[in-house]
Amino acid sequence: MPKHNPRGRAGAPALSFLLLLLLIGAVPSQAADTVTVDVGAAYASNEGTSIDPALAMLRGKLRSMFNYTSYRMLDRKRRTLSVGETGEFELPDRRSMRATLLPGRGDKVRLSLQISEGPRNLLTTTLGLRRGGMVLVGGPPHQAGVLILIISAE
Amino acid sequence: MMDCRTAQGKILAKADVLLSRQDEAGLADHLAGCPACAADDAAIVGTGPVLRALTAIRSMEKAPALDAMWTRVRAGIEESRESRWRFSWLARWAWIPAAVALAVSALLFYPSGTDQSPYRPSSFDVAVENVESDVATVALVDKGEDLPTVIWIIEDAKT
Repeated sequence: MPKHNPRGRAGAPALSFLLLLLLIGAVPSQAADTVTVDVGAAYASNEGTSIDPALAMLRGKLRSMFNYTSYRMLDRKRRTLSVGETGEFELPDRRSMRATLLPGRGDKVRLSLQISEGPRNLLTTTLGLRRGGMVLVGGPPHQAGVLILIISAE
Repeated sequence: MMDCRTAQGKILAKADVLLSRQDEAGLADHLAGCPACAADDAAIVGTGPVLRALTAIRSMEKAPALDAMWTRVRAGIEESRESRWRFSWLARWAWIPAAVALAVSALLFYPSGTDQSPYRPSSFDVAVENVESDVATVALVDKGEDLPTVIWIIEDAKT
């Protein structure tokens, strides 16, 4: 009866860890001329007093800016864009947002945003923000409150 | 006194070594006085060695075939052990490609999927170059660099 080598079994996690490291190295890192646009849709209302854990770091700022008592994340998506590339983000209530990365000015990332509700154009704007920066777009009604879009670029 | 019919049964039992000492003594008494039963007993007793010899001859004839059969059985057992060991070896290592595939999937798809990690903005410095709407009133709220800039869409004076 063949005996299994315990050293071979002990080496399995090390081998898989090595493979994982190789894979991480093989995945191309984000190029400097691309930007990851992060769009989160939060539901703000006066129904309860809970704040979504993802918004914990923004709790004080949200309370300073709005009169809502409850904030809940409905969705959050990321798209990595190159200059001139447009990313489509689906939003609640059949709304959508198109984000196009424009050539930057100085150290700022420039984004052209268009938020639509069916054929209606709710908002068109061009923003310049730093990598890691954030801007909020709010107001569209949702259930008993409003939607607040948390848009950031990395 | 034992009759011939009973004696025939006892003769067969004796050949099968199933006869008690008492019955054997009774049978011997009967055989001493009955030549017909004695002849039957002698014939049956003589058949035993012949049958044993025949069985031995048959065994010798079949011995090579039996050896070959056992060789095949042993080979089959060894082969089964070998394939079971190979299967267990595969089962022990099969999780590695699965783990690698999972890691690749996570690396490739995690950044574009839904993310629930906490927001940690490093800057609220935003330049709004233009803002417009076809169907709503838009307000720009900027309370300084410590607070995020807010673009507020007011539809039909609802919000």
